[in-house]
Amino acid sequence: MLNIAAITLKGIFRDRVLQGIIVLGAMIFFIPTVASLSMRQVTELSITLSLSLISFVMLLLSVFLGATSIWKDLERRYTFSALSLPVSRSAYIAGKFCGISLFLLLSSLILGIITLMAVKFAITIYPPARPVAWGILMTAILFDALKYILLVAVSMLLSTVSTSFFLPVFGTISIFLVGTITQQVNDYLHTPVAQKTVSVVVMKAATALYYLLPNLDSFDLKLNAIYALQLNYGGLAITAIYFVVYTGALLACAALIFGRREMK
Amino acid sequence: MSTARRPLVMLLIALIAYAFVLGPFTDYMRRKPTEEKLGYVPNATMLGFVCADQKAFVGAALIMKVIMYFGGLSDRPPEKALALPPDFRGMSNIIHTALKLDPYNMDGYYFAQSFLTWEVKQFALANRLLDYGMKYRTWDWYLPFFAGFNHAYFLKDYKKAAEYFRRAGDLSGNELQINLAGRYMQESGQTELAIAYLKAMIVTSRNETAKKSFGVRLKAFEGARTIEIARDRFQVKEGRNPSSVAELLKSGFLQELPSDPYGGQFYLEPDGKVATTSKFMFQQAIQGDK
Repeated sequence: MLNIAAITLKGIFRDRVLQGIIVLGAMIFFIPTVASLSMRQVTELSITLSLSLISFVMLLLSVFLGATSIWKDLERRYTFSALSLPVSRSAYIAGKFCGISLFLLLSSLILGIITLMAVKFAITIYPPARPVAWGILMTAILFDALKYILLVAVSMLLSTVSTSFFLPVFGTISIFLVGTITQQVNDYLHTPVAQKTVSVVVMKAATALYYLLPNLDSFDLKLNAIYALQLNYGGLAITAIYFVVYTGALLACAALIFGRREMK
Repeated sequence: MSTARRPLVMLLIALIAYAFVLGPFTDYMRRKPTEEKLGYVPNATMLGFVCADQKAFVGAALIMKVIMYFGGLSDRPPEKALALPPDFRGMSNIIHTALKLDPYNMDGYYFAQSFLTWEVKQFALANRLLDYGMKYRTWDWYLPFFAGFNHAYFLKDYKKAAEYFRRAGDLSGNELQINLAGRYMQESGQTELAIAYLKAMIVTSRNETAKKSFGVRLKAFEGARTIEIARDRFQVKEGRNPSSVAELLKSGFLQELPSDPYGGQFYLEPDGKVATTSKFMFQQAIQGDK
């Protein structure tokens, strides 16, 4: 499994994805200049823009690396040589996932460090109303990375059932969009207005989807990081456990399906 | 022509065509009316669904859009800069949407307060927005300070104003605000209150158009305050109200007549209150309102 992870990681480096990340990361240095257009919250806007850029980059990485990794191996017939090694198909899936996840963590570390430097600079332009909570900022970046690692597991599951990359790419993007709003929809369904107006069938279907689809809203700590709002540590712990359990279940499904897949 | 050269020729043609199009295109974009640039923003709930985990970014982008739009008005001649009625309704809608996406964004509250009160006189709307913001920005003294000012100065609701000023004072520890809570009730304190408020707005403003607008109003209020001080000294000494500003000048209580930056003339109302013929607004704006 570790071999597969190392090969995956090497493949990503070979494709010069890291250089791309560094170039994008350099854009973060210009953020304080853009944020100086703000009337009252230059530092807060710098954090907002930096975290948004990190999220966007991580979304692209998780969708394209996760969704195309297995498909590319199958297209180039690398999978056959990989599977001829003494590794199980489950270990192959786990190795691929670990390789991509490590790369996501590395990318978030690089982008996170650049963000911290940019925010430090923004503070010198216009100090924020409240001191920047560095710990919360770093936690937000970490949980953002966890969110996109979970999304990698989603894209890998979709890759195991598809022969092209269309389903994994567009399926992952769709699940990401739905995953960020399931909580809002569920909150709405519990309001008195929805109880009266929404039919029972829709209510039950929406509730089933709420439990089935990933809840990505809990990983979003941007507002806490931007405005130095206190974190709910109990909530973070349960989110971390949710991440481990949900990602584990997705990978188990992916391994199960990939194990039964017929390869020609 | 050989097939190998064809793409090169096509590229050259495309580049030459691009050079020709670029001039008129950028010219068109530059001349595009500022009002058109504000555009339309969908419902906040729908927008919240679409922008996934980028709500804070979209909120900030919307507020920036309004600030840029308002800032664009400063390109006009100074005397007309605030006279041409900007699309305040559109600005208000966008800021409300943005603050639903990110209820902590101070730029939104600050900017809404700056135009919803004096410019469009939507005091209730401004206060509702401030109350909404206070639920989130629980550490920020500016929001209760603004709300206190709106209640005291515009709505004359002194009881409510006292509550807000006390809250602002508790959060900032600022003596001025704590004192204001007790002082605003006096009619003579009104102008002073406005001056204190405007100074606070100017110090923290980073938008040149807004800053200019506050500066003009501050200058006008400082002029009115100078006359008020002279009037009060006259009352103490003479035991009656002066009949006019000219009497204050003649009797030496007022050294020189302050100028009204809005182009009006200061005068005394029958009850002694200092007023100006401009009503603290540019004439074009008054005509625009009509």
